[in-house]
Amino acid sequence: MAATSAGRVLTLCRQFQNAFRISTTLSAQQSTVTLTKGRSYPHRLPSTLLSSSWSCNLDLAVQCRPLHTTISRRGLEEFFDIPENWGEATVKSGAPWTAKQLRTKSNEDLHKLWYVLLKEKNMLLTIEQESKRQGQQMPSPERLKKIDRSIRRLDTVVKERENALRLLQTGQERARPGDWRKDVFGRIYWYRFREHALPWYMNRRYKRKRFYTPAFVAPHLRLRLEKYLRAKTRKQKKESENQAVLKEKFPQMQAKSQ
Amino acid sequence: MAVTIIYSTSQKYPLYQMGNPQLRIFRPPFFLTLVRPGKEQPPDVVQFRIPMVMTKFDVRNYVEKIYNVPVGAVRTRIQYGTNKKRNHLNQKVKRPDYKVAYVQLAQQQTFEFPDIFPKKDVKSAEGSVEEMQEKFMEDEEQRQKPDPRRGGVTEWFGL
Repeated sequence: MAATSAGRVLTLCRQFQNAFRISTTLSAQQSTVTLTKGRSYPHRLPSTLLSSSWSCNLDLAVQCRPLHTTISRRGLEEFFDIPENWGEATVKSGAPWTAKQLRTKSNEDLHKLWYVLLKEKNMLLTIEQESKRQGQQMPSPERLKKIDRSIRRLDTVVKERENALRLLQTGQERARPGDWRKDVFGRIYWYRFREHALPWYMNRRYKRKRFYTPAFVAPHLRLRLEKYLRAKTRKQKKESENQAVLKEKFPQMQAKSQ
Repeated sequence: MAVTIIYSTSQKYPLYQMGNPQLRIFRPPFFLTLVRPGKEQPPDVVQFRIPMVMTKFDVRNYVEKIYNVPVGAVRTRIQYGTNKKRNHLNQKVKRPDYKVAYVQLAQQQTFEFPDIFPKKDVKSAEGSVEEMQEKFMEDEEQRQKPDPRRGGVTEWFGL
């Protein structure tokens, strides 16, 4: 249970971050201290179980990384909550992970956290579907939102790191190559490249897609331009008229009011 | 690899041609839902609702690697969600389609879908509003019951 409870703790409760310093290299002794210091439910963090794994490291080198907790072997039971929570009206859960907290974690930790969040979300989806089936209320449905947000933020952080790495190594701003191209309507847009098995001149479907503006579209472009200019002029006129009215009312006005 | 929903595998995954390295997805953005089977299934079959873009191989790898459960066979089907129902504006409302996977466990393992909502006798706290409400409801029920001295005969019969 230690591993899974560790997993659950890691999932949502940031209060328990202090208890799990996996990323920083701490001496085993210090880790036992932080574990017991962390305020936690007694049945969730059996410190005796964990401290035994920590204590065996006391003899080893102080600078080595603490042991990682064993993988859970509960199998399909992980699709459901712990049996104590079955039938409860509400289940306590902590705050979601913020991007700021996630940025402090190492890549390995984020990778592990992704799977922890994934399994938690699977569990919540299972409970939701079963509650719909049985006509019961799902206990604490806000957990789904929290998990969604955590997952999105984790993805954001990983994307940021990938972007930074790519910029430093290759100077490419985008992961997926693309180009500015004109479509049939004369609009210029960012066309993102796809991978193809053939060259473009052999790709019939690609050749049907025109990246130029035919000549007969010119009148439409002219009309669109006129519409745009008309709207712009109208807006400017309205603004200047408004300014004139205000100037009449408040002659001392200097700054342009929004 | 981003969390963006994968609409077609051909677009978001790199193209595969013979000799290419095996595609590996780190941080899979797929979520499985374990469901209670509607029809009776053999004891070693587990039923999942999976995203449309997952295949049998994906499901097998997913369950084996993430949940450490030995998988024998996987069968999938796509359930069509009805577009017949109409809302209060008489517009057709589509229920989303979903893919169902029937996963047969290996090594003669069995799985039974548990009862997640057992009836628990909840005793409200002393002096709280819930306790007073419950007591009131119990008294009301007692008052509504017919006179036991009449022996089940209704009030319609005089005397």
